Amino acid sequence: MASAAPVITDISYTDLLEDPYPIFKRVRDTAPAVFVAAANLTLVTRFDDIMSIERDPATYSSDNPASLVNKVMGPTFMRKDGAAHAAGRKAIEPSFRPGTIKEHWAPKFTGICERLIGSLREAGEADLFSALAAPMASLSLMEMIGFKAMPWETLAEWSQSLIDGAGNYSRDAEIERKAMEAGAGIDAAIEAMLDHHRANPNPSILSSMVHADPPMPIEEMRANIKVIIGGGLNEPRDAILTLTLGLLENHAQKESVLAKPELWPTAFEEAIRWISPIGMYPRRVTRPADLAGVALPEGVQIGLCVGAANRDDRRFIEPDRFDVFRPKQSHLAFGAGAHFCAGTWVSRQTVGRIVVPMLFERLANLRLREDAPPVIRGWVFRGPVSLPVRWDA
Amino acid sequence: MPTIIFVAADGTTHEVTAVADQSVMEVALGAGVPGIVAECNGAAACATCHCYFDRAYVDCIGEAGEHENEMLDFTASERTADSRLSCQVRIVAAMEGMTVRVPSAQ
Repeated sequence: MASAAPVITDISYTDLLEDPYPIFKRVRDTAPAVFVAAANLTLVTRFDDIMSIERDPATYSSDNPASLVNKVMGPTFMRKDGAAHAAGRKAIEPSFRPGTIKEHWAPKFTGICERLIGSLREAGEADLFSALAAPMASLSLMEMIGFKAMPWETLAEWSQSLIDGAGNYSRDAEIERKAMEAGAGIDAAIEAMLDHHRANPNPSILSSMVHADPPMPIEEMRANIKVIIGGGLNEPRDAILTLTLGLLENHAQKESVLAKPELWPTAFEEAIRWISPIGMYPRRVTRPADLAGVALPEGVQIGLCVGAANRDDRRFIEPDRFDVFRPKQSHLAFGAGAHFCAGTWVSRQTVGRIVVPMLFERLANLRLREDAPPVIRGWVFRGPVSLPVRWDA
Repeated sequence: MPTIIFVAADGTTHEVTAVADQSVMEVALGAGVPGIVAECNGAAACATCHCYFDRAYVDCIGEAGEHENEMLDFTASERTADSRLSCQVRIVAAMEGMTVRVPSAQ
């Protein structure tokens, strides 16, 4: 007979932000689902359980009318199931096709990366967060959406404000105001480009949306573009930094990858397994469920901790280690099921084949600074927030 | 309810009674056929349910759509003329006795 989820109350939210992995391990070793008071969520941390949940959207729904994401962004496909989700997803699919990425986006993103690395090369040192990863992710996303060129900081601020708004469980008025302001800015940016994309079909996401059959309604375009901005900026940014950090901290692995460029895709997958940019996402239990012996009542919110599942020692040997040479195993950094990340192939191409290889190729003797160690934060989203490096200018 | 014969990478065969309207990927996962990962569970987004299909059944298997066709360029095992994403192939009664080969890597 299924028993109620155990409860953990002696963890602080700060502990989760600073280093969630020991907590994830404790939760994983305790039960398939554990209520963690600091997160105000029942957390699921084991690989196989998350996989089975993602194969059962009727019991574990993405649809949540009370979701803060919906409040901040509008009716997004991220919070829908079945046909409603599939229709939205299909409308943006042309922009994300592997062939389109290779032929259309890769040359554009290579150009952006060349300019960014070229401009910092002389300096000999930089924080790769603000000097490369954040502008790279922002400028690429701007192109992909089909926005007019704007300072990279603008899109980055919108993204952060939306994310903060979607996680604003304490209902902080200032956070809400900034999220709504970002939303208004995005609506205006969409409006400014719609006629252009209607008249000139192209691979951008806005173009895909207006030329979809049937065209996506404007309120859904607004909401889904917000999801794409909220989600599409920090993940590539964090993956760039995490892959760079993994290699800089592991000299022998770095040398192997640089000597054998065919290892770059493997190194990329290992980086996002090691520190998954999206560490947790929510689901809602629609009917009484039994998750591997734990009873989950109808209506309960569960957090799928893919960041924990990607370090599940039932599946990965020495899971806390960055190891490009570990046996190939699929991971959950892109999620699973119908909501599997639409940006997977863009991210594989951009981060693993363009940005990080170019970084190591063009900045000779790239190294960490002993006097300024990297700072990594977060558990819902996790990645380096500062990665100071030096190279031989 | 056609019988589908899955041939795993190690040569073992799995005869499965399939339900019409399911995808071949769903049938394989339901029967525990090894070698199909299906990370995206049918969204044609991950290319980890790649299989080789028996061309004798091409009329009921159908052709890959545009998106699937591009995904097939990124499979971990070699793409051949028989390659499809098994999540995009739906079971019909005329598939009785069809063989589906599972590649060695996804």
